[in-house]
Amino acid sequence: MSATNGVRRVGVLSVGMMPFARALAEDTQELVYRVSKDALDRAGLRRDDVDAVVMGSAVDPFNGTNESDKFLVAGAGGVGKPYYRNATSGSTAVSTPSLAYEVVASGLADIVLCVCYEKMSDNENSQKVFNYVYDPGFVRPVGLNVPIQCGLEARAYLHRYGISEEEMAAVSVKNLGNAVVNPYAQRGREITVEEVLESPYISWPVKILDTSPVSDGARAAVFASESVIRDLDDDPVWVRGIGRGADSYWYMGRRNKDLGRLDYAYLGAKLAYEMAGIEKPAEEVHYAEPYDPFTYKEMQHIEALGLCEEGGAGRFVQEGKANRDGDLPVNSSGGLLGEGNPIGAGMSRFNWCWLQIKGQAGDCQVERDVDTAACTGWGGMYQYNATVVLGRDA
Amino acid sequence: MEGTKQFEELGITIDGKVEVEYKWAAGIAGSRFFEELRENARIMGTRCPQCERVLVPPRIFCEECFVDADEWVEVQNSGEILTYAESYFGLQGQRLDEPWYVGIVKLDGADGGLFHRLVPDQRPVEIGGRVEAVFADSRKGHILDIEHFRTLK
Repeated sequence: MSATNGVRRVGVLSVGMMPFARALAEDTQELVYRVSKDALDRAGLRRDDVDAVVMGSAVDPFNGTNESDKFLVAGAGGVGKPYYRNATSGSTAVSTPSLAYEVVASGLADIVLCVCYEKMSDNENSQKVFNYVYDPGFVRPVGLNVPIQCGLEARAYLHRYGISEEEMAAVSVKNLGNAVVNPYAQRGREITVEEVLESPYISWPVKILDTSPVSDGARAAVFASESVIRDLDDDPVWVRGIGRGADSYWYMGRRNKDLGRLDYAYLGAKLAYEMAGIEKPAEEVHYAEPYDPFTYKEMQHIEALGLCEEGGAGRFVQEGKANRDGDLPVNSSGGLLGEGNPIGAGMSRFNWCWLQIKGQAGDCQVERDVDTAACTGWGGMYQYNATVVLGRDA
Repeated sequence: MEGTKQFEELGITIDGKVEVEYKWAAGIAGSRFFEELRENARIMGTRCPQCERVLVPPRIFCEECFVDADEWVEVQNSGEILTYAESYFGLQGQRLDEPWYVGIVKLDGADGGLFHRLVPDQRPVEIGGRVEAVFADSRKGHILDIEHFRTLK
């Protein structure tokens, strides 16, 4: 059975953008309003045109109020409309646009405004917040935190495939360098492999410059049914495929206990590609924005997306294939490493795929033609993936 | 484009703090596990009747077969390091001069294992290295009734 049976085609009319930064002056409601308004303006729509609103964020404790979205629904244009909240940890960034797609594909709405946000710097100690993402019985008292979590995973990944720290560093050099010309980026910088290698370890092999910054920001996009988008856009960008995967929180007792291989990310990609009818992603996908809160995560996600062989993403990046002028450019926006990482608003990965297909990526526009692009989100305790494939008609 | 001002420039911030107390139920499986640690210094798991995996940490169900897993079995105090991390930061983010180690230990006789502190003893900490649990003298029914795992030859 085709995954598309019984559902309508859905296109993306516009995206809403704003610069990411640390400690923005706006409160979260104002951030959400700015990107929502931007997305509607770019689509030439008014709030009245929107049938439903889908909003996502990952970590309420950054906001310091429970169900933080209740303050924001008005800023997302949701007053008097059906409203959906989505949260799947970091993968919220891509599972939220995926949900927006589902609401339109199901026929429940013709035009959906999708918004993702996170304002991390309202909180004064992001690491303390992250200490509370672990269960209180088995893991938290032993002392897990995000740097250590990444150390466990990155070490397993390097060990499994024989990967070097130089390969990781090449990702940071690429992404921070790419962000220099991204007007929405928080951390564009020309750096060298040596600088990355000499930056302090947070937990081997992960160093400060392998790590994305604390950020504030939001992103939006307008989803529309085929009949609506055909009237408004003569070259629509379609959601061609969506996929997700989940694994158990109990990573030490999973059937696959090797943290070096993200089975759930391979699953998300497989489902999205099946729906899109993509059989050879390395040839059929022209651009990718994989989730890169850490350098090695971009590498794992390039591999899970099937853009190179397993364990080969570091060499793929080192050889320049993922560069803006490369064969298969990856995170030409700078990704989370360069653009910034307001967790839910990592939806920017989705937005940049759209901008690249549309040829509206400005100085970040890649050299090669882009008809098909893929993005991923990652979250939980090495647990969740969301994948979306966007593309124009052949 | 507006809005890239920092809040320091804006002046007004609303300062506050959130403090909340909890008393979490350890759960059916967790209670038995921690009781065995406290009373008998034993590490216990539950066996899935279908796939026969011994689940540690124990759960009352097998998440793969989705059937009840209510047979309790003792597993070994020894095991193998699957992966580990060293940290130069304390849990409050403070910098430390000497690293501390944690890792995932697959326990002998179990399909799973524990995330726990690792202390280099007979060998450095390494993937594939052998370790054994060191129990605390005074045990309270808590994961830190195992003080740490020490490395073996």
